[in-house]
Amino acid sequence: MLKNWINIFIYHLKNNKLFTALNVLGLSIGIAGLIFAILYWNDEHSYDAWNPQKDKIFLLTNEMSENTFWASSSAPVGAAIKEKTSEIEAYCYMDGDYINDIIKFRDKKIQSDKIVSAQKNFFEFFPFDFVEGNRKKALPDENSICLSEELAFQIFGNESALGKELTIQNKKVLVRGVYKLDKKSSYNPSCVVNFVDLFLKKTITQWGNFHYVLMIKAKQANATSAITRNLEKLYYTNLTERFAKLNGMTPAAYAEKYGVPQPHLESLESIRLHTKTGGLVEGKGNYQFLLIMVGLSILILILSIVNYVNSATANSIKRAKEVGVRKIIGASKANIVQQFVLETILITLFSILLSLVIVELSLPYYNDFLEKTLTLQGSQFYLQLVIIFIVTVAVAGIFPAIYVSNFEVLNVLKGNFGRSKSGVWLRNGMLIFQFAIAAFFIIGSYIVYSQIDHMNKKDLGFKANQILNISYRNVYGEEITDDFRFNRYQIIKNELLRIKGVKKVAGGAFVFGKSVSTSSYKYKDIEVDGSNISIDFGMLEMLKIKLAKGRFLSPKFAQDTINTMLINEAALKQLNEKDPIGKKIDWNGMEVTIVGVVKDFNLGNPGDPIPPMSFFHFKTVPWLAGALNNIYVDVDAQQMEQALTAIQKFWAKNVDPDYPFTYDFVEKEYKRSYSNYVKQKNLFSLLNVIVILIALFGLFSLASFSIERKMKEIAIRKTLGAETNVLLKELSKQYVVYCVIGFLIALFPTYYLLSKWLENFAYRLELTIYPFLIGFIVLLLLTLVVVLSRAYQATKVDVLQYLKYE
Amino acid sequence: MITIKKLSKIFRTEELETKALSEISLNINQGDFVSIMGPSGSGKSTLLNIVGLLDSASDGSYQLLNQEMVGLKEKDKSKARKENIGFIFQNFNLIDELSVYDNIELPLIYNNVPLAERKKKIEAIATKLAIAHRLKHHPQQLSGGQQQRVAVARALINDPKIILADEPTGNLDSKNGNEVMELLTDLHANGATILMVTHSDYDASFSQKTILMKDGMILSEKMNNRNVDVLVANSKN
Repeated sequence: MLKNWINIFIYHLKNNKLFTALNVLGLSIGIAGLIFAILYWNDEHSYDAWNPQKDKIFLLTNEMSENTFWASSSAPVGAAIKEKTSEIEAYCYMDGDYINDIIKFRDKKIQSDKIVSAQKNFFEFFPFDFVEGNRKKALPDENSICLSEELAFQIFGNESALGKELTIQNKKVLVRGVYKLDKKSSYNPSCVVNFVDLFLKKTITQWGNFHYVLMIKAKQANATSAITRNLEKLYYTNLTERFAKLNGMTPAAYAEKYGVPQPHLESLESIRLHTKTGGLVEGKGNYQFLLIMVGLSILILILSIVNYVNSATANSIKRAKEVGVRKIIGASKANIVQQFVLETILITLFSILLSLVIVELSLPYYNDFLEKTLTLQGSQFYLQLVIIFIVTVAVAGIFPAIYVSNFEVLNVLKGNFGRSKSGVWLRNGMLIFQFAIAAFFIIGSYIVYSQIDHMNKKDLGFKANQILNISYRNVYGEEITDDFRFNRYQIIKNELLRIKGVKKVAGGAFVFGKSVSTSSYKYKDIEVDGSNISIDFGMLEMLKIKLAKGRFLSPKFAQDTINTMLINEAALKQLNEKDPIGKKIDWNGMEVTIVGVVKDFNLGNPGDPIPPMSFFHFKTVPWLAGALNNIYVDVDAQQMEQALTAIQKFWAKNVDPDYPFTYDFVEKEYKRSYSNYVKQKNLFSLLNVIVILIALFGLFSLASFSIERKMKEIAIRKTLGAETNVLLKELSKQYVVYCVIGFLIALFPTYYLLSKWLENFAYRLELTIYPFLIGFIVLLLLTLVVVLSRAYQATKVDVLQYLKYE
Repeated sequence: MITIKKLSKIFRTEELETKALSEISLNINQGDFVSIMGPSGSGKSTLLNIVGLLDSASDGSYQLLNQEMVGLKEKDKSKARKENIGFIFQNFNLIDELSVYDNIELPLIYNNVPLAERKKKIEAIATKLAIAHRLKHHPQQLSGGQQQRVAVARALINDPKIILADEPTGNLDSKNGNEVMELLTDLHANGATILMVTHSDYDASFSQKTILMKDGMILSEKMNNRNVDVLVANSKN
């Protein structure tokens, strides 16, 4: 039986090469898309999934104001909450950022940018496997270090690392363990040191200083509400009541006016994709983008399955006689269903194989696109592949098979089956569905494209074509004073200015595209949360940022290094002050005078609203100068190359011999910071092309099929004197109607989903009627091109051929 | 073998009720060769389709091998059909996409005959019907007469109790038509039961009994002399 089925399958394969190829291609593109989405999905969901206590470990997050969540906590809260709550098993403080530093072993220097400082029980929270040493005694004191296998190999080669002495940040540490870093985790440190206790001690009374990441391990996964309740009580006593007292207010009034942090717990398993904070050191997954990927790929797979079903049922008319004969000879319905499902199984198998080839070949580009290193492997993935296979066969195969098996033998054999209406409504329904999806993609990609274009064309408020941002490693340590830091910077600046081609130099404690710290200040009764930007003189002028009122900071005014600040227009708006120049505000207990207002410019994502900003000279707020990690240099375009070489030479010799010299062009760096939206645009455009191709192919095959069935009618009309354009109108009329219906169906979901997407951007397009109008025209034109070309061919055909036979 | 009593078939559309068969009674015994004649629309094909279990009656009784067929479920009909009935059609109804061998093999497959036995049977019948050299070809590559012989081979391969032929010579020239009729006569002579619908008096003359139908009723039944001739001819041999 199988041989018989396969014989006939191969016969049809040979005789319908084009359609089979298009079907297989359509399905494999659909499946490939889903495989891509699944690889991405698996990767994002693998973070911390291996951690046996992922549901019992929680990150303490603090809701500072509505929708602003911080992943950091204050130093005293850990011990206090553990003492108060019996449900807590342990807690562990760790740094919120990786440290980038140099590790020395004898004469060897290795730079690592993923160093983590954490408390001694870090490895109980992230239980990596140890190849050397013991996880339990890994970080007993501040003289201990644990290395990842990779780093250990870099330093020691094949020698054992255990017990060796390293130097890091001028401290001597002993290697107590080497762990394997083979699983994805919220923390993937190259090495772990226990320096954090020292800093915790210093700030142990500062409840308002949110600086460290605090992980809490509960005894039970469901203990969150008890812990959160106690945290709220602690916050109330130590934050609300205390600060209310300081301000001479009742706690309720204080909370009402200034707001107080609200503690929340996020389980380790949810952090990667669902955290409300900005994410931990390894960053957070883009859940929305992941959902878009999965959703769109499922949509495309459905589209290609619909295509397959459509062309299979249409083609089955050709096989009606075969089915009729088989039934007369003794085939049961089940026999027929099995036969046709087998054909789908074979087609799906081909498609999956082809899709694996497509995925394998394009994986490098995909990885590049996602900035990941995905591979085609894993038992989970193969299981999912089997599920895709089964679902595809079930959806694509069973329906046409049942449709075919229901052919009435007598009708088929009498020969009047070809013109029967059976299944027509269904095929047309699916065609309308395809039109709807295609309309969604055309309109959607147009809107996405316009929005990104809108952002790209936006006047960013600064110009930085030729400005370099050089990463400057500031100096830290007990004995280093702010004055020392500033002098060191001043010397470097002067040296840089001497290099030929360098026009201006200014340091800044900010990077375009990255966030900065914020501090709130008060003016009258208004509290403003300003982004702190500490700069050297001339920084804003160099970036060609415009002034709205007052003046820039200048060395001519002595008070500019003592107690003056600039604000931006966004801050001015919040202050609600007509004449802000000369007004004094209370900034962190310091009285500061506003001397100027700069026009708004983008520092963060151009889609986001521009926050209030406060600009100070380094000396005005010395602790902000500690974040001076960037020196901006304006270089003459003509002499860029020589100037760069000279700067690099100077840098390696005089500034930082240990670290590689790294720089970037400000504008490029900035554009990269919102590249994920540009990527979404590109992805959407690519998918758009695929979807339109698949949908057009579906339309093409269905139109061919339905016109073929109408050939006799066309022939009769032609003999009776119908003109070509009348025939064309007759033949294409229904498709225009389907196209309109499909478009109307897509209208609301498209509007809803794209509005939702646009909500990501504060600076966004208003949804107008144009994208919809253009989408409709494009869809209609494409439909007409396909249908008319097919119909025109039909009207040119020899009349006699169809009148004679049939 | 076949007992039909007061069998009726009514086609209903919204406005119209057409009686395709009205209260027909008929008996066919084992070894009979019966032909049905009549003008278009007389109901002869409907009768054949009901006998072949492709269509169902509206009223009356149809017993095949003493088993009532009216009101039987599709599944049981399909079973009765594949075990007992062989079909020969005017337009052959071979599956163009399958080779001659595969076409003949189909009924055996659906009756779960093992592979080795299938091969033996197909080769035997192909030799008998002089199409052994054509087994690997596709139907389109054969002449009309050869195609009909393949259809006959397919109808016979399962040793059916009764053969139903629907104008078996309708699409053939007279030479090929004659060949097919002689083939049927041979089968009958060897004991096969045949029910044939035809337009041709000449074809009908090969059978033992001719039933004439009109407007869904049986007008007359007559015995054919030629049959005697055949017997005489046989006895002469």
